[in-house]
Amino acid sequence: MNIQILGNPSFAFAHVDLDPGETIVTESGAMATMDASIDLDSKLNGGFLKGLSRKFFGGESLFINHFSNKTSSQRTITLTQPTPGSMVLHDLGNGTICLQPTAFIACEPDVKLNTRFAGLVSFISGEGLFKITVSGPGKVLFGAFGGIIEKEVRGELIIDTGHLVAYEPQLKLKIQLSGGIISSLTSGEGLVTRMEGDGKVWIQTRNLQGFASWINRFF
Amino acid sequence: MQIEFEYKPGNAIAKVKLSAGQTITAEGGAMVAMSPNMDIETTTRQRKGGSLFSSVKRLLASESFFFNHFTARDGDAEIFLGTSLPGDMTTLAVTGKKIFVQGGSYVASSQDVQFETVWRGAKNLISGESLFWIELSGQGEAIINAFGVIYSFDVDGDYIVDTGHIVAYEEGLDYTITKAGESWVSSFLGGEGFVCKFSGRGKVWCQSHSSSSFGQQLSPHLRAIKTS
Repeated sequence: MNIQILGNPSFAFAHVDLDPGETIVTESGAMATMDASIDLDSKLNGGFLKGLSRKFFGGESLFINHFSNKTSSQRTITLTQPTPGSMVLHDLGNGTICLQPTAFIACEPDVKLNTRFAGLVSFISGEGLFKITVSGPGKVLFGAFGGIIEKEVRGELIIDTGHLVAYEPQLKLKIQLSGGIISSLTSGEGLVTRMEGDGKVWIQTRNLQGFASWINRFF
Repeated sequence: MQIEFEYKPGNAIAKVKLSAGQTITAEGGAMVAMSPNMDIETTTRQRKGGSLFSSVKRLLASESFFFNHFTARDGDAEIFLGTSLPGDMTTLAVTGKKIFVQGGSYVASSQDVQFETVWRGAKNLISGESLFWIELSGQGEAIINAFGVIYSFDVDGDYIVDTGHIVAYEEGLDYTITKAGESWVSSFLGGEGFVCKFSGRGKVWCQSHSSSSFGQQLSPHLRAIKTS
């Protein structure tokens, strides 16, 4: 399988070459174009009840798609995301990362996808009640609204709410006011997320709620 | 006429250089900046021929009702052409083969390219593509725009394009509205729903992003308009 990301940083999309017998697992609706001989099988994302609860509480898709090349030569599928922005192809090795529900685009078939309760802190900070964990071996493709900054956290990092895309699971999320009560209310930062521990985070340079509230001012 | 692009693919703009006497026709509202020695003529139709009815059809194709014809008066002149959405632009070489451009994606064309608004069938009601398309013929170049990156490929056989991603396609191809993969159930449960299946031989231009998918992602965060 060869995954090539084009269009970074503003309008990323990915061409995926599937060799005979290969399968790629994608988020619902991620296919933009594909060879007509590629087959699609949509599967429940986990169990039925689990899937349902994630759909209604996590805003996630109930189904995930398996695109398979059952022919005898290479076939191409092109994947996209709804928002303009960047994509990252991350080799998990044997590790795990946590993703915001809307960030997941695709992964290799051996990658284990799980949805976990992310905790109240995550919910309050606008990152959603659920998070996806993806575990290797294999590669995962994820995306964001805006560019993606990859940063190594050593001890502590403060991130504005709505900007966290992905992080390594050993990092702990805490919510806090950006400063004192007055400065938090007046600085426009309000609540921020504090990441504690050592590990990698991926941050998006824009956030959809921020963009929407800018548009809302015109109505 | 010489066409160059800048700020591809995120915020593309076309810089068109015209020699004296040359004309470019652009969709109303596309001009961003231009040299002072440019004559502008505004019509509701193509310069040579075309009817008022075709302008009405063009409105339905989510294009502008008016066309502007820019002609370099004396000496060279240049014009910048842009669009309202962020995204890519590219040129199409029109060489006798007809090219169908999705309504809303046409920006401009050189003087010997003919264009006509054509009905492409009720199937587009289902797929959400334009009901009316711009049909380009003749000889020359055209400029198109898209939401996202424009990528093209040659189809020989069958190829699936998800609804909302078609920008243009050549004569020799046609598409049907169908399912992704072998099963209708999977296509709908998997969120792909209806897709367009191109058959035949020719080139297809697609956009990497769909403005309606972005709209669906964005709209829950937008405030409802007060109607009182």
